[in-house]
This record gives sequence, structure tokens and C-alpha cells, in this order.
Amino acid sequence: MTELSFRPVETAQDVEKTSRPSLSYWQDAWLRLVANKRAMTSLFVIIFLILFAYLGPLVWRADHTEQHLDKTSQAPWVNRNAILIAEEAEWEDVVVADPTGTHQAPMSVEVIGEARTTSVGLKWDAVPNAAGYRIYRHILEPKAGFPLGLPIGETEDRTHVSFQDRMDIQQKTYWYSVAAVDEDGKDFEEFTSVEVRPRLYITVGEALRLGYITDASKVEPGDTVLLDWHPLGTDYLGRDMLARLMKGAQVSLSIGIVAPLLFIIIGILIGSVAGFFGGAVDSALMRFTDFVIALPFLLFMILFMVWFGIEAGGSGIPAMVVALVLLSWPGVARLVRGEVLQIREHGYVEASRLLGGSNSWLIGRHMIPNTMGVVLVSFTFAVPATIFTEAFLSFIGMGVVPPTPSWGAMCNDGIRTMEKTPHELLFPALFISITVLAFNLLGDGLRDALDARLRSRE
Amino acid sequence: MTDTLHTSKPPLTASPGWQLTKFAFYALLLCVALLLLLGFLTEKFNVGATSTSAVNFEKNTITLSLTSEPPQMDSTRATDMVSGMLLGHIMEGLIRYGPDNEILPGVAESWDMGELAGTFYLRKDAFWSNGTPVTAHDFVFSWQTALNPATASQYAFVLYPIKNGKAINIGEAELDSFGAKAVDDYTLSIELEQPTPYFIKLLAFFTYLPINKEFYESREGNYGTNAEDMIYNGPFHMTRWVHDKDVRLEKNEYYWNNSETRLDAIEFGYITPDPNTALNLFATGKIVLAGLNAENIERALTEGWRIETHSDGSVFYLGFNHREERPTSNLNLRKAIQQVCDPEELVYKVLKTPGNIPGKSIFPVWLRGVNGFFRDEYPGPDHKRNVASAQEYLQKALDELGLDEPPSLVFLTGDSAFSAKHAEYYQSMLKEKLGIEIKIDKQIFKQRLAKMTSGEYDIVAAGWGPDYDDVLTFGDLFTSWNANNRGLYHNEELDRQVEIAQQSSDPKTRMDAMDRVQHILYEDAAIIFEYERGSVYVFDDRVKGVTRRSVGTDPDYTRAYIEEEVDS
Repeated sequence: MTELSFRPVETAQDVEKTSRPSLSYWQDAWLRLVANKRAMTSLFVIIFLILFAYLGPLVWRADHTEQHLDKTSQAPWVNRNAILIAEEAEWEDVVVADPTGTHQAPMSVEVIGEARTTSVGLKWDAVPNAAGYRIYRHILEPKAGFPLGLPIGETEDRTHVSFQDRMDIQQKTYWYSVAAVDEDGKDFEEFTSVEVRPRLYITVGEALRLGYITDASKVEPGDTVLLDWHPLGTDYLGRDMLARLMKGAQVSLSIGIVAPLLFIIIGILIGSVAGFFGGAVDSALMRFTDFVIALPFLLFMILFMVWFGIEAGGSGIPAMVVALVLLSWPGVARLVRGEVLQIREHGYVEASRLLGGSNSWLIGRHMIPNTMGVVLVSFTFAVPATIFTEAFLSFIGMGVVPPTPSWGAMCNDGIRTMEKTPHELLFPALFISITVLAFNLLGDGLRDALDARLRSRE
Repeated sequence: MTDTLHTSKPPLTASPGWQLTKFAFYALLLCVALLLLLGFLTEKFNVGATSTSAVNFEKNTITLSLTSEPPQMDSTRATDMVSGMLLGHIMEGLIRYGPDNEILPGVAESWDMGELAGTFYLRKDAFWSNGTPVTAHDFVFSWQTALNPATASQYAFVLYPIKNGKAINIGEAELDSFGAKAVDDYTLSIELEQPTPYFIKLLAFFTYLPINKEFYESREGNYGTNAEDMIYNGPFHMTRWVHDKDVRLEKNEYYWNNSETRLDAIEFGYITPDPNTALNLFATGKIVLAGLNAENIERALTEGWRIETHSDGSVFYLGFNHREERPTSNLNLRKAIQQVCDPEELVYKVLKTPGNIPGKSIFPVWLRGVNGFFRDEYPGPDHKRNVASAQEYLQKALDELGLDEPPSLVFLTGDSAFSAKHAEYYQSMLKEKLGIEIKIDKQIFKQRLAKMTSGEYDIVAAGWGPDYDDVLTFGDLFTSWNANNRGLYHNEELDRQVEIAQQSSDPKTRMDAMDRVQHILYEDAAIIFEYERGSVYVFDDRVKGVTRRSVGTDPDYTRAYIEEEVDS
């Protein structure tokens, strides 16, 4: 036998060729996720929301607790050009001599000075035989025989013929009507109206203080300055809605992520132990799980609040997180247990056991990593559910405490003014809806992507 | 074969956006269809609403709504405004208030009232709704029941001016020693503890209403819980009370003055605390009167409804906790807070409803003084927000309290949406101007009273409504002996001034003393005056003769009538 008799078999080339790079489970899942437009859009929306919550306040530096009582419930598109005036003069009543004549209503009503959004001063000429005057404000032009509008004030003497209105004046057209009143407090038939369109004014001192102008000598009354912009408007105390939404996003997102993380860890531990050991351990743990599922969430939430002994004005958030964590893990535990029951019958688990793998090794190395797919999916579904729970609890007043905003609490505030200033309800509601939808769609996409049975074979 | 199978079904991820849009579209369509269907069904079967209208000409009936269910109708235990309003219609005391708040004879036909004692002569034609006469015994019985410690009436103190009233209430005297006695069926003699110039005005208050002893005892503790568990001596009697749903009052034929009652019935067809619900009921012609708030005034204006204002006579203030262990017992801290408060800003920018008056005093503007209005004669302290002086006061307070930074304070308030808004305003304002942290503690009314009594607060949003038409109903609030002085404010000078006003019958002396009281309260920053409450409401002007009051039954429909329908 010569050397030649034995020649190494030529290594077969091109017998089996990997036409595509080998993909791990996670790589494959990622590819499938990227291909899913719906899920990717949601992912970007979520990334945007996180940036909005945590980087937003660095860019938009308005303080979410600062009140601007001169612009409460202001819509985003309101005119912001304010006219500069010198200091405001003190209001002085106009008193005239006792009138003569027979007229039933003031001959004329006129505005004293400029009509401002901070105050509108009116004066009129006196009416004989009047015991006083009643001043009305309307947003429509008053007609004889119809109500004159909101009774905004009264004067008690016919020689006092002026009135200063400071009640919540907006930049829109008002009709002020003055009617004389008889001894019994009844209006005379006739009245005189004046159309007024209050404008935005700011005193030089105020403009300096707020930093709209830097040098008082360079401006003169009559110039206009552009006031602060509130891109999403202001709320009922004149606080910036955008800043409040950002702060609210922090609250919602942090609870929405922290609480599910915690209860999923508990769920994994209990589920994997139950599934792995089976038998008595399994049935004991699963009966306990059934018991926890049966506990009513809201009731326990209240019990936790009492138990925590939340002091006056304390936040309900810690109690909420504890209640969520202690009551929400059973779903995950059941899911993980089911997966583990399957996995432990697989050959590689048996092999690992024969090679001397301990129980904790088996659980840690083989069981838990292989359940990550379902866990991740249930996490993405738990986040929106938790955000919604937080919003709901804050809506009914059990969550955050003022001045901390939360989307739910903002909705609760906004719903009262829904008809007049819808933006106060609309924006927080929109944010809740978008966030919940985005997380749900992402969860949907992840479930499709991680489902091994759908793995691409092409 | 497999190919056809594969392509027959579009892949799951195909054009997801389109799929979603389509789904959303169908879902929306379904919602709209459901809404229309439900609307149609409600219309058709008239579900959820009794078919009454606000004004019923044929039946001579008006319909109204209540803001809450009355807890019970027993006048000795009533505390709330709804019970008070209903009792004013179904019961009558010795006197009653007329349309212009003048005192009119009620069950008492006439009376002789001296400084310390008086005799009331009851009319013989006053009957209970079961036909038995109203006697002096009924008054004595009712008052004794209210004072009996076992009844635990919260308003027993209103009866304290009567001799031994207080002693009986705190268990130090027997019922027999009571200063009110029935001389015979129609003569009632009353001895007073001390001169009480406003005693006659008190007699219209609901705790002073009579109760028939025989009937009361026949109900074995259930008196006042149902329409049939009561008998009535007022212009109306209650014929139906479905709890949490509706109350119906009908003209009482046994009432001595029933010729003046012009309505046949008043239907309180709805019980709702929500102003928007009430306004919707008004808009659909279901009720005669609805209150407005800052949010829905605009709607009332565009609808062209007649808007009226009304002052309910009460005064709102921030009360401080004067207990020693609390930082608010420090005068300079209270002064600091007082100096940054601006009642005008509160009323014009936060409350935003006409009718509210920025607070300047504990005494509201409508109280009578010596000749005219008290506040015209004694305008009260001048107040203007002064942040600089507030900060000086704060610095002094911090030095005295040995603190480096402003303390955090508990702000006790109610559980309504309005209370929350009001508290948040102060929270931000005090934080911004003084750096004081405020913790808002929202509590239901009962719990708030309990916390005020036990002193678990620093600042409380409180209010006081008049019980009778005299300066003292406000003036004695912060005396050291008043049970409603829950912040335990103590000032000997103030106590002395109130005693002067209680004992003197000279109006000038009394009013001078009350002027001192309003200044002491301000200088000591015992409380912070906030506002006098007013409200705006819409009213169906086919109904005439309704009286709105600050003291007593409000609104008062006892003389109301429906104006004849005229074609216009």
C-alpha cells in the first residue's frame, strides 16, 4: 500500500453553501420588525415620546407650575401682540351732578381710556329718576326685548356714572349695556349699548420685569411687544400646556415602564419556578396566582393608600406602583409557566441536565432566555395598560397631587371646560391615545416578529 | 396548489396602514350608528326622563332640580342648604320672612318681646297636615329635642339664646328648666339667657320650626325619613319622596294662609350636583332654574337666556390653625401670607363669575349697620397686595421660628373641582411669592370638619353663611367660646367687643364694637378675607314671585306663580 493508495478525500466544495448570512433568532426577529411599517412607526413615536418627556424640558424651558393669571385658558392661536403703555392709572369713580330731563336711558356710554384685557372702564351720562344703574356684558349685539347679557355690575346712586369691569376679559368683541334701575331694583325698559373690543396691553414696568424689553428709554407707549408664546395654549390657571404635558409624560412614562418591569420580574420568577418543578410546587404557586388574579385592583389600590398612611397632600404614586406590582404579575407568571412546561421537555434541556447542569443553571440558561419572546410581548402590552391605569386613577383624583401634572389629571381638569376651551382636554387626551396606541401596535409587531412559527424560510 | 393557497390570503403585514384605516373607519361608523339608534330609542320611549316640563300651565306646576338629596327632613337635625330650602316650604315657624326680607307673622299671630323675656300668641287657625292644631307645645317639644344631648344636633347652638339652652345641650341642666314654656295651647313664653336683640330674626331659622310630639313619637325614630313619616304646617306638603330621584311638594290645604299659595305643586324632578347637567335640563325646558359657572356662562349668552346674579350671603376666608405647635400660630408668618393675597385677583381671574365680591371684611356688604349698610358706615380695613412687605414679615417669622427656609403648610380644602382649582391657585402663588410649599389635602365636608376640629391642618378654605339677619352671626365666629372657631383663635380684645355687641341694645355701640372686630381680625391676620359668594343663574321668566335671599329660605317659591300665557 503506497501513500498514493490513500489520498485524503477532497473536501467537497460547494456542496452546501450558505446563500444568506446565518441569522440568530433575535436578528431574524429584528429584520421582521423593521419590515413591519406599523410597528416601526410606533417605535419611532415611542422614541419621540421619550425624547419629548426627558429632553423636551431642556429645550422648552417654561415652568409647568408658573401661573399667568392674565391669560388663563388661552388657545394656542390667540393674538400675542401687546401694546405698551405707561403705568396704569388708579381707577376713580365718575360722579356727576343730579341730572334733569326725561330720558329713560343714558344718552351715551363711552369707554374711559383704552379698553384693555385687564380692565374696561365705562362712563355714561346720568338718568333722572334712576335709583342706580345695572351694567351688562354680552358677546352678541343686544336687541330690545331680549336679555342684555351677563349682569356684570351695579351702581347704587344715579350720580355715580362709571364702572370698571375686570372680570375675565378676553380679546373679543363685547357689548356693554347700561340700564337705569328703579327703586325696586327693576331695569328701565330702555338701555344704551357700546361695542368694545378690548386689546392686549402691557405696562412698561411689567414688560421690563418679564424681560420683553431691556431698556425702558428705547421704547415709548404705543409700541407693540410680542408676548410669550404658548404653542399648546394655557390651562385654567394660565400654566403652559406644553410644559405640563412634558412633565406629565415623565410621570406617565416612568410609571408605565417601571411598574411593568417590576411585575414582569416577579412573574418570571414565580412562573419559571412553578413550571420547572411542577407537581406540588406548581399547584401551590398556581393556586396562589389564581387567588391574586381574583383580587379587585381598585379596592386594593385604596387599601394600599390607607396602609401606606399617605399624609395630607402626599402623592398616591408609590401606593399605585406597589398595588400594580403586587396585583399584576399573575398574567406573566401563567404565560412563563406555560412556556417553561414546554421547554423543559426539549432535548437540549435533557442533555444539559445529563451533563450535570443544576436546576438554577437550567432555569437561568435555558428556560428564561427561551421565554424572552413572550415576555417582551407581554411587556409591550403591559406598558400602555399601566399608563392607562395611571391616567384613569389620576383622572379620578387618586394619583398625582398638584402641582405635578399627569395626563389623566389634566384630562380631568380639561373636561370641565370642554365646551369653552377644548384644547385643555384635547391635548392630554391625544397624548394618552397616541401613547397607548403606539405601544399596542409595537407589541403587536413584536409578537409577529418573535413568533418562531412565522420565521421566514424563504 | 400551494401557491394558490398562499396567494388566496393576503399576507398579514400587507399595507398595514390601509388595514388600520379601514378598521378605524368601520369602528367609527358603527359608533355613530349606535349613537343615532340610542338617541332615537330614548326619544321614542322617553327613557331616563319624566315627561314633565319646566312649567306646566294645566297643572299649575313648576319643575326644579336639587343639587343633592336631603339627608333627612327632621328640622332638629338638618344642617344643609337643600334641607333648609325644602323645610322653608313645608314648615312654618313663629315668624317668616316676607318678599323684602321683612318679618311677617307666621304661626305666631302677635308677640310682646321685652329685653329678657317675651310672649308669643299663636293663631288658632294653624293646623298640621293631619288636621290637628299647631300648638305652643309643638314648639317647645321641637326645641327641647334639638337641645337634648342624645339628638346630637349640630345646630343646637342656635337655641342657646333661650334660657338654659346651652346648659341643657351640654348636659348640665334638666329639660324642665328650659326657658321656653307653653303657658297654654296658644301662648308661648320665652325667657332669654341674656339680652339678644336679634332674637326675633332667629325664629325663622329651621331649628326653630315646630314638630308635633305625638306624631314624632309614633314614628319611633323614623321621623323625617320619608314623605309619609312627617306632618306639615307650611304652605306646601310633601307628597312624594323617592330617595335620590325626586321630591314632590303640593299645596297644603290645611295651611292657614293658603290663599296666598298660588302654585298647585312644585316638582323637584331631578337631583344632580353637576351644573352642566342642570343647564342641559334647563336648555331642554325641563327645569325652571339652573346655576351657571365660569365655563358655561358663554353658552347661556349665545342661547340668549336671561342671566341673573344672586348673593347667597356667605363669606369665604382662609382660616389659620392657631394651635401653638403649628407654624401658622406665628403672627408674622400669617401677616406674610396675608400681604401676598389679593382677593381681587382671586375673584376676577380665578373664580371668574360675576356676583362674587372681593372680600374686605368678615362682614358681608348686605348686613345692616346703624342706619344704612354696615359696610357703608364701617368700610373695613384697607388691603393691597404688597410682596415686599410680605417678604419682610416672612423673614421675621423665620427668625422667630428658627427656620432656614419657609415651612411647608397643609392646605385643607373640599373635594370639588372648584376647591382643587382654588387650592392650586394658592399653592402656586405662595410658592412663587414666598417660597412656601403647600400640600393640598382634599377632604369631604364631614372629614374636613373633623380635621378642623382635631387641628390637622395649617390653612383651611372655609366659609360661613348667615343663620340670622344680624352682624353677630358673623361677628361672634372667632370668639374663644364659639365651637365653630376650629382654629382656636384667641384674642381677649375681640372677645370683649363681641360681649359688648351681644349685651348692648344700642345700635351705635354694637356696630362700633363690630368695627373693632373686623379690624382686629385683619391686624392679627387671624383669617384672610377672600370673597363674598355670589352666583349667576338662568331662570325661566314665565315664573314670577320667586324670592332670592341671603338669609332664610332660598330660593323661596311659596308665593310663586305662573304668568298667563300670552301670544306674542
